[in-house]
Amino acid sequence: MTGLMLALMIAVLFGTGTYLLFQRAPIRLILGLALLSHGVNLLLLSSGHFKRGLPPIIADKSSFTGAISAFVDPLPQALILTAIVISFGVTAFMVMLVNRRNMLVTNQTEAVNAPNDPFASAAPLTTTATEEDYDYLEQAPVARKSA
Amino acid sequence: MNLNPNWLAAPIVIPLFMAALGLALAPLGQRQTVRAQQFLALVATIVNLGIAIWLLYYTIVIGERLVLQMGGWAAPFGIAVVADGLSAILLTLAAILALATVLYAMGTLDERRNMHFYPLILFLLMGVNGAFLAGDLFNLYVFFEVLLMSSFVLLTLGGQSGQISGGIRYVVLNLMASLVFLSAAGIAYGTLGTLNFAHLAQRMEQAPPGIQALLAGMLLIAYSSKAGLFPLYFWLPSSYHTPHPAVTAFFGGLLTKVGIYTLYRVFSLLFPTYLVDWQPLILAIAGLTMLTGVFGAMAVNTMRRVLSFHVISQVGYMVMGLGLAGSADPVAAGFGLAAGILYLVHHMIVKTALLMAGGAAEMEMGSGNLLANQLKGLSTRRPLLAIIFFFAAFSLAGIPPSSGFVSKLGLLQSALSNQHWLIATVSLLVSVFTLMSMVRLWQYAFAGAATQPPVPTAPLARPGKRWLTLTPIAGLVLLSLAIGIFSAPVFQWSTVAAQQALDRAGYIAAVQPTDEIIMLEKK
Repeated sequence: MTGLMLALMIAVLFGTGTYLLFQRAPIRLILGLALLSHGVNLLLLSSGHFKRGLPPIIADKSSFTGAISAFVDPLPQALILTAIVISFGVTAFMVMLVNRRNMLVTNQTEAVNAPNDPFASAAPLTTTATEEDYDYLEQAPVARKSA
Repeated sequence: MNLNPNWLAAPIVIPLFMAALGLALAPLGQRQTVRAQQFLALVATIVNLGIAIWLLYYTIVIGERLVLQMGGWAAPFGIAVVADGLSAILLTLAAILALATVLYAMGTLDERRNMHFYPLILFLLMGVNGAFLAGDLFNLYVFFEVLLMSSFVLLTLGGQSGQISGGIRYVVLNLMASLVFLSAAGIAYGTLGTLNFAHLAQRMEQAPPGIQALLAGMLLIAYSSKAGLFPLYFWLPSSYHTPHPAVTAFFGGLLTKVGIYTLYRVFSLLFPTYLVDWQPLILAIAGLTMLTGVFGAMAVNTMRRVLSFHVISQVGYMVMGLGLAGSADPVAAGFGLAAGILYLVHHMIVKTALLMAGGAAEMEMGSGNLLANQLKGLSTRRPLLAIIFFFAAFSLAGIPPSSGFVSKLGLLQSALSNQHWLIATVSLLVSVFTLMSMVRLWQYAFAGAATQPPVPTAPLARPGKRWLTLTPIAGLVLLSLAIGIFSAPVFQWSTVAAQQALDRAGYIAAVQPTDEIIMLEKK
């Protein structure tokens, strides 16, 4: 029963996550990725002989016969922990990226993309900096502070 | 000679340590931090190169595998770090490219817009080295994530709007590929009870054929989207031209090739039967990747976009090597994989050189647009850069005596001797198209008389920085020419590496997975 529940849960998470990934709005993209990674985490959990009430340690070492049905495999849980940390970090980074893009869109006064060429390089490499702006590399830090 | 296996940890630990040290120096103030980070990055990449060459000598010339069982726990219970010929070749190439990139960045990088570039490159190098050395599926995943995470940050460093929108695509698609990969790891552990490569290779026959096919398919999808193969390549041309040229050059030379390495490793070790059964599929992917890449390159009009589409088209040749390794005859299989590895070597060097030269041209002139006449006449303005670009471009197109000629010849011979006429024809056609595309770049960017004044981007405005930019590119081009001229020993090395990669029994014997938890004896 637990196995079926778990399988259904994984299916729902994968399905919803994939659906959300096909949407245009960035927040749905982020949520979709988060749901997908939860689905994968549950998949990992299910690979370790997951059963209710069983601890991931061998409770009574003296009577342990080597039968794997006496405990839950702890390795997938360790793997999930790693996967959770990674997906959390990536999700945080995605949120920052989307936030930064929104900031740029609101601050933009002119289109950076060439309107008629979809393949044009979006980011111009030129800066407005002149050569004097790079003198900081040659100056002593004390002089920089006074200037 | 016996090499202490603890050396295998060095390519992972050294970049990590130096990067952390570089970040810790940030309170010193910007100028000092940049200098210190540059110095640390140089030291780390040089030491890393030395160790990689040492490992290359040990695995190729002596011909042994080196296995480190972390903490003395025997595989599969501990973490196994394994180096064989294929890993050592890629480690060495990654080390060469990292050193070249650090030098190039010292000449071209505006540190105020790209803060902490050097520690990030070292983190990326750590992830790449770890992926080449990983001895189990989950550590491979972790190192993939390490390299992806640093590549996300490097790609969006500077925060221009083009970088951000390219970065979002890059992050989402790579993350999806990672999730497919992680699911495959979960299924493998659930059915086979192990994640160690050698142990998996031992037990793979016990799995039901349906599960085997599922695993092979999921790993193929995951790795081919990381490698930029047809039809999962579209994240690459939309993001690779946006960051700083030093970042583009390092990514274009290195990152997709990590996906290729894992395809080589996983299919030769875990799924040798699927390599044979799926040969038509793999060859079809290879051919379509080559064609779409080269046609894409014809359709776009900025320097680095053209070159990033060529990354895709060239990756197709390496997959062609993998497809040819699926011959039932072991000699033909070894020859096919060896040709693929030689192509990998050639491509990583030449592609980085080309992207560096193209990036330098963009920075010197202030624009990468081929149609705007801004780049015209570079051959008279910057003759040295033009000569270097010329040699790199012709090596990419496969003109003798460059490395491109030798590696394409190897693949073609292998395809013809196994009667794969279609893929041989496609690869020849794509070669011609590549040459046309290179001629087009030359026409638009280098030939003719200069009409517009140059608008150099900041660090290159100092002529003193120019030699720092040109030296690594020239070094890489010379290396490519050397591989072309001394092709016999290099091909010999890649044959050894291919035979080691295809020798599953040898790999299993080197790692020695056990079914009992034992501590290894202290040495």
